[in-house]
Amino acid sequence: MSGSDRDMLAAEYVLGTLDGPELEEARRLVLADPDFAHAVRAWERRLAPLSRLAETADPPPDLWARIEARIGTPVLAPEAARLRGALRRWQLAAGVGLALAAVFAGLAFLRPAAPPEVVALAPVKPGAFLLALDRQGGALAIRPAAPVDAAPPDRDYELWTLPPGAKAPRSLGVLPPGGMRLASAIPPGTHLMVSLEPKGGSPTSAPTGPVLYDGVVQATSD
Amino acid sequence: MPALPNETTRLLRGCAGGDRAAFRRLYEIWAARLLGIARAITGDPAAAADAVQEAFVQAWQQAGGFDPDRGSAEAWLVSLVRYRALDILRQRGRETTGYEAPDEADDSPGALDRLVGDAETEALRRCLGQLEPERRRLITLAFVHGLSHGALARRLALPLGTVKSSIRRGLAALRGCLES
Repeated sequence: MSGSDRDMLAAEYVLGTLDGPELEEARRLVLADPDFAHAVRAWERRLAPLSRLAETADPPPDLWARIEARIGTPVLAPEAARLRGALRRWQLAAGVGLALAAVFAGLAFLRPAAPPEVVALAPVKPGAFLLALDRQGGALAIRPAAPVDAAPPDRDYELWTLPPGAKAPRSLGVLPPGGMRLASAIPPGTHLMVSLEPKGGSPTSAPTGPVLYDGVVQATSD
Repeated sequence: MPALPNETTRLLRGCAGGDRAAFRRLYEIWAARLLGIARAITGDPAAAADAVQEAFVQAWQQAGGFDPDRGSAEAWLVSLVRYRALDILRQRGRETTGYEAPDEADDSPGALDRLVGDAETEALRRCLGQLEPERRRLITLAFVHGLSHGALARRLALPLGTVKSSIRRGLAALRGCLES
């Protein structure tokens, strides 16, 4: 695809006219290709003022309460229960078919006292499983939170990190079906993504297959 | 009226740090505007409220990832809610059961007078005004009402191929004008 074709795909993605394979391709590129993501942001900025043509509408009285209920009430239960709670919220979200359908659908997190972080990586497309990540004593554990579909025999799942401000994702290696522990610190704001790759991992330094899961590590303030 | 861009950016920074008062203020400033955007796309008040709910949850969770150097806060918030609303529309099968946008005149040249505000908005109004009317209409209907290529073809009684090529030419012209 030439640069101008790619920019036009980004424009049509922002405009909202894409469907089917073209939409899938654009969603994949947003996550996997920083240049494409940059083009999308540029088109979002160019076209956003057009949204002022829509009339404003008074929010229903319960909307704020619904939002508040979704943004992570502190949970005091033991760690395992906390994790289950976070995942249940995601499954509910998946049930209404909203959260997991959006390409940027990313994460659920709680703000418990300890451990400081619980992050769920949500699938980009509905119908698949979730991955959970928690931090205990500075280490990160990434593990399946529900039964995981094994990768096809000739493929592997690969874990990627995209720190804030970074231009390209960096591989953290092939993700075994049972999960893995990471030694290095993952700063808040970092995207963690899982892509489907050829056996042994991506042959290049970037994801080559579809990005199946995506989440953002959040700073916790309490 | 849209909030001062600086205020929204400041509030998003507060959200990134876990400041719930900043999040509440963000809601007060933006909820009616974002709900209007979602309604124009979905045509359904309940679905629009769902889209706005998810967009605010996402804004709270991902505010730390918003970088004002890479895009405006308005563009970021508008995009969050538009992608949600478009996904709802796609799940419902917009080609078959698609909500058809009302016959409002918001794609007329006069409606562009409502595009007032900062320099970027003024530039967009000027550049839209320079487009051929049909291309302007297609782009506006697609962006504001989420019409697919097929829905646009029916609405304007144009061949599908013409719709696609007109939109591409219009977008390319818009980009050229905005960058000049």
